[in-house]
Amino acid sequence: MINKLTLQNFCVSYGTKSVIDAMNGEFFVGAVNLVVGRAGSGKSSLLLAMAGFHKEFSGSIATDGDKFIPDGNFSLTFQNPESLFFNPTVGDEIEFSLRMLNFPASQIRSEAENWLRRWGLEPDLYYHRHPFELSGGEKRRVALAACTVARMPLILLDEPLAGLDGSGQKSLASILESLAREHIVVVVTHEPEIFLTPTSNILFLREGQGSWFNGNDFLRQALTDNLFYPLPEWYYTAVRPYKNEPFLPVINAVEVGKFLQKAGQPCS
Amino acid sequence: MIVLDKVSFRYHGKSETSFSLKEVSFSCSKGPITGIIGRNGSGKSTVARLIAGLICPDSGAIEVDGFAPFNHTGNCRFLAGIIFQNPDNQIVGTTVAEDIAFGLENLAVSNAEMHSRIRDVAGRFGLESLLSAPVNNLSGGQKQLLCIAAVLAMEPSWLIFDEPTSHLDPWSRIIFWQQLKSFARDHGIGVIVVSQLPEDLAQFDQILAFDQGQLAFQGSREELKSSCDSLPWFTRPESWVFEKLSGAKP
Amino acid sequence: MQLGYQPGNSFLYAFNPLVKGVLCLAAIMFFSLNSFGVALMAGILAAMLLTAWLGRLPLKEILLSIKKIAVLLLIVSLVQGFRGNGFELEPAFEAILRIVGVFLVAGFYLVVSPQSELMYFWEVVFRPLSFFRLPARELALVMVIAVRFLPVMLAEIDRIRMAQTARGARLGKAGIFSTAAAIMPLMIPTLAQAIIRAEELAEAMEARGYRVAGVRTRYQQYTFKPADIMAGIFAILTISAAIYSRL
Repeated sequence: MINKLTLQNFCVSYGTKSVIDAMNGEFFVGAVNLVVGRAGSGKSSLLLAMAGFHKEFSGSIATDGDKFIPDGNFSLTFQNPESLFFNPTVGDEIEFSLRMLNFPASQIRSEAENWLRRWGLEPDLYYHRHPFELSGGEKRRVALAACTVARMPLILLDEPLAGLDGSGQKSLASILESLAREHIVVVVTHEPEIFLTPTSNILFLREGQGSWFNGNDFLRQALTDNLFYPLPEWYYTAVRPYKNEPFLPVINAVEVGKFLQKAGQPCS
Repeated sequence: MIVLDKVSFRYHGKSETSFSLKEVSFSCSKGPITGIIGRNGSGKSTVARLIAGLICPDSGAIEVDGFAPFNHTGNCRFLAGIIFQNPDNQIVGTTVAEDIAFGLENLAVSNAEMHSRIRDVAGRFGLESLLSAPVNNLSGGQKQLLCIAAVLAMEPSWLIFDEPTSHLDPWSRIIFWQQLKSFARDHGIGVIVVSQLPEDLAQFDQILAFDQGQLAFQGSREELKSSCDSLPWFTRPESWVFEKLSGAKP
Repeated sequence: MQLGYQPGNSFLYAFNPLVKGVLCLAAIMFFSLNSFGVALMAGILAAMLLTAWLGRLPLKEILLSIKKIAVLLLIVSLVQGFRGNGFELEPAFEAILRIVGVFLVAGFYLVVSPQSELMYFWEVVFRPLSFFRLPARELALVMVIAVRFLPVMLAEIDRIRMAQTARGARLGKAGIFSTAAAIMPLMIPTLAQAIIRAEELAEAMEARGYRVAGVRTRYQQYTFKPADIMAGIFAILTISAAIYSRL
């Protein structure tokens, strides 16, 4: 199992335009790594360059000290992965990747079924259905399962929860968190709130410059500077007076309530 | 004023949004920003399309400013414009000016009037320098502005947005709401926004909530807050949960 | 590098789009048909380049793009050169001049014509089809939309290719030698997305008042100026000269 991915002097450009300058940092196994920034900040370009699809980059990527060459050792999911469906059944869709990567034929079916179950869909109910017949949330689960079934050490996802409703997002976020315990999971998102924990590893991109934060420091920075990241108003107003506390609460009403009680704010 | 009276609708053929509407009745007036909320398949997008005149009710009556919107021809005012989620799939022209002109050509607006409306609306949205820019060179944000400008150039009485914020980053969402509120106020256009984001609720003055093809709630934000326990499918925004916990407005 | 419209402001840009199209066609016919010989053709090419320079066209870019047909030029010149006994320079050179002439004319035409002018030209060309009840303006609109979405579709295909490759699909060198099964992961999503896109666009167009049989006014209006009439006469003379030289 690979434990960390290190970027050294990593620069990405498009022609003469530099999109990401001299990035140095690490992504880890253990929790979801977040790449956050506005639209156009270079987040997707970073993923493409790491995956080897975008060739105009310099600097190095290493996994546990060895040079990383993207070749069948990563999985990459773009936005709206359900647009990739081309098989008549959900089972075929998930097995495709395993077949192409030459998994032992006898194990393909069971591996695919287990993985589908891992993403919250019972194989008995879903394996033989046509992907286009499913609801939006189900399609997303199948698509994410199909893209990650090969269990690569590095899993890159570009906005995996975009367009889902609240409960769908929560459920998928927790599946990604469980995956992150065994793989290096990097999620590009402009809305990190659902993944954010005090110890999250966050790369924040602004106009090509990257800054690394843990969850706590990210929240503190956002509380200090409104333009840095627009926190929900209720959180900002409630927690701002306590921004220098060592441990800030995640963006969840119950957690903030507990935090305020501890900090001495009356909370009925 | 928009009035729906016992409107029913059923899509022919099967698709994810094929929920029928069952005898829906409500009215909304210009001034307050009206939000239409509900889960996928609840009928909210169907209502939006009915108001925009894209589809015709199977039974019941719908009136926008006194006229039936379906196949309403343009001698009188353009009734309701609708802006969909994906700006790319709404842009027809090859340049910004041409795209804004598309709607005006359809309304048989005179050439001179077209030029002045295009200049006007481009000025309002900061697109004047981009009028001859190829559409494919625009950024995502500029494309969304173009879609809005193109519909506004048609001088609609009402403007409907179908899930405009779901793919915007948080910074852009704030700007979107600021701009929407200011031009709704300045130009007296009725605004309806269809959304499933709990955070958008804070922006709505009036709310219409749909569930399984029926109108489950109609009223103000405050009224929804107090009665949302009776709506099992409804996801409360975190800010409301926090308010309840802390027992006071934050 | 793709040759396309580059905004500019000279007498070449000011011609009526129909005249631009007719001039282009006339010049193409001229270079294909004429038998005036190498010297005259080279002279005419030089005159064309001078006109383009006076018309402030981006000559350097256009000339550099000839690189793209270098292989074609080589093959054709060899074929023509070896026509008789052994290799003769004149037929080879003549073939090169013809092809370069056509290529440059097409390049000039594309550089001075924005999309809307190209489509207006096509719409007028389609007009005779209205005798067969085919709507010319709608057909031209179909072409405008196809061209407008081409870069979008190409980007989409690229994205799908990358995503499927990341799943293990072998699409790297997909071409005419691939089996149908091998390119399914690329073709089906592309087609599905195209259909979805078309549906959404059709709805958006209807939402903006578009009706196929509706009365529509025009944003782009083109006039004929004296220069256009002269250019038109010049085009006719050119075609006649080319045909005459063959008789």
